[in-house]
Amino acid sequence: MLRSIEDEAKPAADASSKKQAAAGVCDPVTLEILRGAIRAVQAEMEALIERTAISAFIREKKDFYTSLFDADGVMAVGSNMPVFGDMSGSVFKRFPPEAMRPGDLYWYSDCYESTGAVSHSNDQVLIAPVFHQGRRCAFVMSWAHFADIGGMRAGSISPDATDIFQEGIIVPATKLIDGGCVNEAVLEMFHRNSRFPEQSRGDMRALMASVELGVKRVDEILIRFGAAVVEDGLRQLLERTRRLVRERLAETFPYGTHRFTDAIDSDGHGNGPYRMRFALTRERGAKGEDRFVLDASGSDDQSPGPVNFLMNPGVPGMALGLYYLGGDPGQVCNAGGPQALDEVVLREGSLLAPRFPAPLGMRGLTMMRVLAALMGLVNVASGKGPAAHSAYVITLMRGTFTDEKGEKQPFLLSDGIGVGYGARPYADGIDAVYFVAQENYPVEFVELGYPVRLTHYGIARDSGGPGRYRGGCGIVREYEILADDAILAVRIDGVTNPPWGIAGGMSGGAGRAVVNPGTERERALRPLSDGNRLTRGDTLRIETGGGGGHGHPFDRPAEDVLEDVLSGFVSEKAAAKLYGVVIAAEKVDAAATAALRRKRPQVRAFHRNEYVDVLA
Amino acid sequence: MSSPDSSATLPSSSRMSFPEAGQRPSPDARSLVVAVDIGGTFTDVTLQDPSSGRAWRAKTPSLPSDPSQAFLTGVRLALEEAACQPQEVGRVLHGTTVATNMILERKGARAALVTTAGFRHVLEIGRQDIPRRVNLYSWVKPKRPVPASRILEVRERIGVGGVELEELDEASVAAAIESLRKLEVEAVAVCLLHAFANPAHEQRVAELLRAALPDVAVTASTDVLPVVREYERSLTTILNASVMPGIASYVGHLEERLADAKITAPLLLMQSNGGVAGARTIRRAPALTVLSGPAAGVVGARDVAAACGFGDIITVDIGGTSADIALIKGGEISLTQHGQVGEWPLSLPMVDIVTIGAGGGSIANVTKGTLTVGPRSAGAQPGPACYGRGGTEATVTDAHVVLGQLPESLLAGRMALERSLAETAIRKGVAEPLGLTIEEAARGMLAIIDSNMVGAIRVVSVERGHDPRDFTLVAFGGAGPLHGCSLSALLGIEKVLIPPAPGVLCAEGLLAADLKAEFSRTLAKSGRIDEVVVTRLYAELAEDAKSWFEEEGVALADRREQRVALLRYHGQGSELAVCWAGDATSTEVQFSKAHSALYGFTLDAAIELVTLRIEASGRMPAPVREKLGRARGAKAIATRRVRFAEGLRDVPVFDREKFGAGDSFTGPAIITQLDATTLIPPGWEGEVHVSGSLLLARE
Repeated sequence: MLRSIEDEAKPAADASSKKQAAAGVCDPVTLEILRGAIRAVQAEMEALIERTAISAFIREKKDFYTSLFDADGVMAVGSNMPVFGDMSGSVFKRFPPEAMRPGDLYWYSDCYESTGAVSHSNDQVLIAPVFHQGRRCAFVMSWAHFADIGGMRAGSISPDATDIFQEGIIVPATKLIDGGCVNEAVLEMFHRNSRFPEQSRGDMRALMASVELGVKRVDEILIRFGAAVVEDGLRQLLERTRRLVRERLAETFPYGTHRFTDAIDSDGHGNGPYRMRFALTRERGAKGEDRFVLDASGSDDQSPGPVNFLMNPGVPGMALGLYYLGGDPGQVCNAGGPQALDEVVLREGSLLAPRFPAPLGMRGLTMMRVLAALMGLVNVASGKGPAAHSAYVITLMRGTFTDEKGEKQPFLLSDGIGVGYGARPYADGIDAVYFVAQENYPVEFVELGYPVRLTHYGIARDSGGPGRYRGGCGIVREYEILADDAILAVRIDGVTNPPWGIAGGMSGGAGRAVVNPGTERERALRPLSDGNRLTRGDTLRIETGGGGGHGHPFDRPAEDVLEDVLSGFVSEKAAAKLYGVVIAAEKVDAAATAALRRKRPQVRAFHRNEYVDVLA
Repeated sequence: MSSPDSSATLPSSSRMSFPEAGQRPSPDARSLVVAVDIGGTFTDVTLQDPSSGRAWRAKTPSLPSDPSQAFLTGVRLALEEAACQPQEVGRVLHGTTVATNMILERKGARAALVTTAGFRHVLEIGRQDIPRRVNLYSWVKPKRPVPASRILEVRERIGVGGVELEELDEASVAAAIESLRKLEVEAVAVCLLHAFANPAHEQRVAELLRAALPDVAVTASTDVLPVVREYERSLTTILNASVMPGIASYVGHLEERLADAKITAPLLLMQSNGGVAGARTIRRAPALTVLSGPAAGVVGARDVAAACGFGDIITVDIGGTSADIALIKGGEISLTQHGQVGEWPLSLPMVDIVTIGAGGGSIANVTKGTLTVGPRSAGAQPGPACYGRGGTEATVTDAHVVLGQLPESLLAGRMALERSLAETAIRKGVAEPLGLTIEEAARGMLAIIDSNMVGAIRVVSVERGHDPRDFTLVAFGGAGPLHGCSLSALLGIEKVLIPPAPGVLCAEGLLAADLKAEFSRTLAKSGRIDEVVVTRLYAELAEDAKSWFEEEGVALADRREQRVALLRYHGQGSELAVCWAGDATSTEVQFSKAHSALYGFTLDAAIELVTLRIEASGRMPAPVREKLGRARGAKAIATRRVRFAEGLRDVPVFDREKFGAGDSFTGPAIITQLDATTLIPPGWEGEVHVSGSLLLARE
């Protein structure tokens, strides 16, 4: 990135660049400024959502994203989100772009109609076209998860669901603002379906305002650079990503078919495990060019429970693309990733392409496992990818509490809890994170807003998969229930099929949910379950899983293991047993460690509960 | 090292002063003002008579082992030169990079954290997010400033609204103290849950720690950032604690030295927000100074640019160790509450600055055939190899010397630069390992350091949607004027401004800054505005402000108070600050207007009050700006051979002191002055502005 400006600053400064601009060519320096300007628009839109939204899910957890699309609705500057697909196609099906006018705003949350562009109905997508001198030049999008949109239980998603109609109101692509005129009736209908209409109202206003701001700012960019230069710039950003991803795919995958299988534990209805089977084929096309085909049709049939992940065909390319873009902040995650794959094959009726109206609400755990399985493909082909991560955990607590005036009030606490991510060939896995951009509810925040008190919030010891590079550790979060009564849903996966380790690294630890631990009233909850009743005075303890390790644990420097022990990430027992490091009186016992490490266990390619050559 | 011999003063009596008509001297206008900026390499002192604008400047090498020594040396020199008595000094203003450098270089005190039992890993977890702008596949979670192995738990619990749920178990504090002894820490932060609502436990723990560990610096979170959200508060508290021993002994030394020199004037330090505050405030919350030096520079840069009529500038302050970069649009210095120092969020108000480890002392390193420059710095001790103080590693300054871009001596001949030492360092450290000539190696080093700085300039400009080509680059700091033109060329910037005294611009900023402090109360429970409560709280805050004004010795006429209310719609998580309009209804109207203006909509929801604040400022008499005499026709005082990429050129050397307003010159040229050397490459030309700044432009 730095080199580019050094090399390219000179041509930009001379008169020829102005001629280029007139011809609609975005020179390399202008391209970087354009990219920065769009990033600035995104940051401003995101800040607006964060500062004005009402629900904690959006303003505190920050479950929202923004993107900019070209004149044809192709995502040119996205968020660093690996699970975005084609966001605009379902709008265009009902509203041809040629008929759109300045001041229009489109809205949807229909998973099936959008072919999984949104993959559960809580996610509301607003998209608006940007016009410049009468010409449609771009689209801006804001997306956010609405905390409650109706459905069988507060929070709308529930492990108990058996069809999508139980998961809240579905909004097919709709023109929310028609040339500046807001369809208030449709908004009212939507808000009437929420158990928390004030949150719904405030969040929707925030989302609408952010798109409005985005349109205004992108318009300013168009005025500043000219529509032709912007058009060319967006084209270059797409092409740059597409080319980079294809180059990296070719480096990773030799010609032939590479296969990887991973599994989720259950659908919460007594079925499972469910396997997803990916095959990536690199072949030569008619003209000798590379063709990359991703085939997931071998995946298991769809589930009765809500763990189906209606995967937009753009998702695998977006995820692989983001992986290949790496840490270079100059690169842009966009539709260039999906475009890098020539074909994505899915089988209708499978876990990844379920038939309407299969339930989707708990698809998060499947989605996270899909991301791990794609890295499994990379590992099978080149061995350079990360080990598997855990699927982030969510709990939904709904019930009533008595307020200061003695009145019963309903509440909904959707608490996302971080997990451990997979170790890399060069670094430990990330400890205790949820997902891109999504934050926790701080202890003080959650206690101020909800009838719970936290008694423990920390690292889940020994949850990180042992390895030369340790898998990230999960989290322990323990609540004392102050509500009068509550029904709890919990979503934990990777208990029987924990995240795999690689190259000698071991699988990550499993999560669990338990009520009143260490007492006579102790009871374990099913990891994916709803209807768990809690009453005032109960203690709920959630432990989340870790990521897989990378490399032989006996190769981890003893000092690193010591620091892990002193910091509460690894127990002394595990240090000796799994890492071959003996710790006594807060120091490494060098002699005993050397003796243990001489008895180095044999390892195989993957580890999930045990070492294996191939995961199935 | 910093004996008077190695220092110098620059009387500016050769310049004429034109005090502006109508300038009203404030009651203590006869008091002199001293501004001292201690950088990693040099200490700069400006003594000014505010009533005439007349100034005397001194520059002396910094002495990292005891910065106060250079501080005082500089002050004495300036007083001598002005022939003034210490008693005539009315204020001592100071900007420092001590705290910044400690955090950036992870050289803060060895610190520990004491927290509520059950919450030892709050810092490790952070906000449990993979940051929005990073790539989840490549991101490595940064190591915390305090590892969990140095985080201790005490048994206690405060709940919502400050209610005590569990008494403080002092036995658990005693146990923590024992552990702290074993850990041999120099600083301890205390951050207990809900302390912002009830600091009793936290203050008691801090008290016990102070009693048991008298040599350890102790910070309670409520002393620094009494706001909700434990992670951010813990982090700020830890950073505060870790710089506290360094800053406390530093400020203490300064005060002792001032007393020794019979200067009784108050010591005021620049804060990150661009205002100054007294030493007592800073001792308690040294984290307020993390951007002290850089903020002073930005305030100074804005002032010199404004004097030339420029409001859109990018400021590049290159010192010995680091470069600080900021962007000013329309003359407004933007403040952020979401600042970042290194990798850490710091929720204190600060000037929006990007700092990188690139300066004259940055060391070149070759590993596996790859040349990197910085962030490691030779600082003032041993300094660049050419200083002849025992430094053997090649630095950026050495590269300039080798290429002939720096003269053989600095500080008006009092500090020699030994070219042979610079050559040896570059030959051994860079040229030989890479198989390059010394000249190629030196040029490579400069290309890399420039490239690093271009990256940081892009962060404040391009990454925020500003085209750097629309801005004037203001280059200052000791090394800034050497790099101004080359950076501009890389960025396509057409205009460069070199301030009158680029090495002491921070001092200019100090002289231009007002005293600033904020006093706020967060309501125990936010809700509709209750005017009775508001009146009571503002009265309390006004009392706080009044004591502060008195402590700082601000005259009645110079006191300014702004009453601010932080409001939000019920349910929102962020507040908008609006001026208190006298009553609830009018203030709510103000809020609705502001919300609509900022976000484009209002909500039909209850407006609730979260925090009340008084922003107090003590207006300082505006410094009178000197003006240069008329052009006298610039004549070169010498010629130097400089190795440019285009080849060896004979370059005229000008003495900046001899310039008058309107003098002009064309590149290549070198302009020397006491505190900096300006390099004008071929293809650039320049002119001297009446305010003393050099305006450089591409031909």
